[in-house]
Amino acid sequence: MRYFLQRFAQLLIVFGLVSFGVLLVMRIGSNSPEELAIKLYGGRPLSPDELTEAISRYHLDTNYFVQYFYWLKGLVFDFDLGQSVANSRAVADLLKPRVWTTVLLGLYANVFGMLIAIPVAVRQAYKRDGRFDKAAGLMTFVGVGVPAIVLGVLLQLLFTVRLGWFPLIGDKIYPWDDLGQHVRNFFLPTLTLTVPVAAIFARLLRAEMVLTLQSDFITVASAKGVSPARVLWRHALRNSLFSIVTAVGTNLGALLGSAVVVETLFDLDGLGSQLVVSVLSSDLFTVQSFVAIIVLLVVSVNLLVDLAYALIDPRIRQMRSLG
Amino acid sequence: MTTSVVASRAADRAHEPSWRQRLPKGGVLFSILWLGILVFLVVFADYLSFIRDPDAKVRVAGRLQSNYKLGPGYSAWFGVDGNSQDVFARCIYYARNSLQIGLASTVLGLLIGGTLGVLAGYFRGWIDRVISILIDCLLAIPALVLAVMLIFRLDDIKATWTFLGWMTRKWQIIMTLSILAIAPLARIVRAQTLSLREREFVTAARSLGAKNGRIITKEIVPNLVPTMVTVAFTGLGILIAAEGALAFLGLGLTESWGFQIESNRRRLEKAWWATVFPCLMLLGTVMAFNLLGDRLAKRFDIREAAV
Repeated sequence: MRYFLQRFAQLLIVFGLVSFGVLLVMRIGSNSPEELAIKLYGGRPLSPDELTEAISRYHLDTNYFVQYFYWLKGLVFDFDLGQSVANSRAVADLLKPRVWTTVLLGLYANVFGMLIAIPVAVRQAYKRDGRFDKAAGLMTFVGVGVPAIVLGVLLQLLFTVRLGWFPLIGDKIYPWDDLGQHVRNFFLPTLTLTVPVAAIFARLLRAEMVLTLQSDFITVASAKGVSPARVLWRHALRNSLFSIVTAVGTNLGALLGSAVVVETLFDLDGLGSQLVVSVLSSDLFTVQSFVAIIVLLVVSVNLLVDLAYALIDPRIRQMRSLG
Repeated sequence: MTTSVVASRAADRAHEPSWRQRLPKGGVLFSILWLGILVFLVVFADYLSFIRDPDAKVRVAGRLQSNYKLGPGYSAWFGVDGNSQDVFARCIYYARNSLQIGLASTVLGLLIGGTLGVLAGYFRGWIDRVISILIDCLLAIPALVLAVMLIFRLDDIKATWTFLGWMTRKWQIIMTLSILAIAPLARIVRAQTLSLREREFVTAARSLGAKNGRIITKEIVPNLVPTMVTVAFTGLGILIAAEGALAFLGLGLTESWGFQIESNRRRLEKAWWATVFPCLMLLGTVMAFNLLGDRLAKRFDIREAAV
């Protein structure tokens, strides 16, 4: 419990500092509240009435800390993220329909990444230095390094242009609306995101499995007559799975970064692609809120990972709350 | 025989992850050849007759090869793009930007991140705490999201603060990418410094009366060089990929592989070459740096460095 509170406090500190930093980056470089208001409204000249309204609404004549607390208050109590200038809509309305695209992509990538990585890594560790191990080792090396744009474009060329299996212009369709269409539209983006994730998972798990297979309790299990398959899948795998759980958290930033590219490439309307659109139309409020929401996502997933870790392994809970 | 097998197993265990040791020997060869040839072509691009001017229109027998008319072949190795410009020449000239940006931002990131990491690891205490919180915050923002945000704001900040007038688009990208590199580098250097400062030679230097400044510059930093070089190579690959991604999103330079991919990808059906060759250039370069970094990590026995 103490551990949980510690982690939660850390989450709040990081989120607070980052969202304040983002606000600072958005506001810095203006000499007067009027100038700032004009910038926040996308750079077009404002009438005196609009100016006073904007300044009083976002408290632009106060210092950055006060502005930040007003913004935070709006976020926490009313989910009011400000007004998107480019679309003249509330940022929250812009955000809500798009969150699921990114969340689903991230979820799929992690789930499929694990489903692919676990059998591959177990097989690799079982026949270490064998032909399969070498081939898979090379493939995971390429998989970790390949840039998302390159993989995405090549997959698009192969599956969409040459084979014609998937639509060229995607659209975000959610599974609760039309499952078949959802699969068709999300398959390639998911694959593009899954390859690096699976490769990272497989590398980590293989390294961990090789170590685990050399430990004493595995020798004991084999010696007392447990079948090799059971030793491998139950005893060894269970004790190596932690590396993957950690990787879900540490890899999330990179995953969401690639999601920006992938959403743009496959025309899936998500947080990332909307962020780019907002940046290109200098829509400061939208950018600020979107970055804050993305950071909130990352930090809370990391907290969940830590908690899962502590729940799975009581030793860690003990160790961390003592240390 | 048996003992040697056992011994090599034990050695393997020390050199984790050991799959690296089984990378094909050709990997490093490939990287050196690829990077060597690329650097040669980039440096002498203006003087080599087979590299066209990247903005010149390609003509075969006096006729303009417009709108992706010419595929890869003898007259244009990588074909022509929508503006009838030579894709090969553009790939080579744009490699200049990618390599320069990657190199400059890695060096900047190493300088800042390395300094922060050494300070945090050596002095511990509140310095360490402040720097660690800073690193945590930087890592909480997905790298590409941070880059998108910073590039977007740098234009405006530059316009307000006149002393930043020297900052061209290229410098903006270099600054942004080096900020991305700071957090992971600082974390790795901090961890290394933490273990180095407990070593005997540091204690010896201290007991001889060496000041902190001397211990850091003469004892700690020289021992960090292998780590930094290794991480620099892997980081270069990642930063070049990030530069490509930014250009692809329309936020980077237009003279870049990423922008080439972006501007031609809608015509993938008609002319695959205009998109695929820049992709392959990006892939090859990133992979070459990754392979070298990997090889060096094995050579210096540096554990998995998450950049």
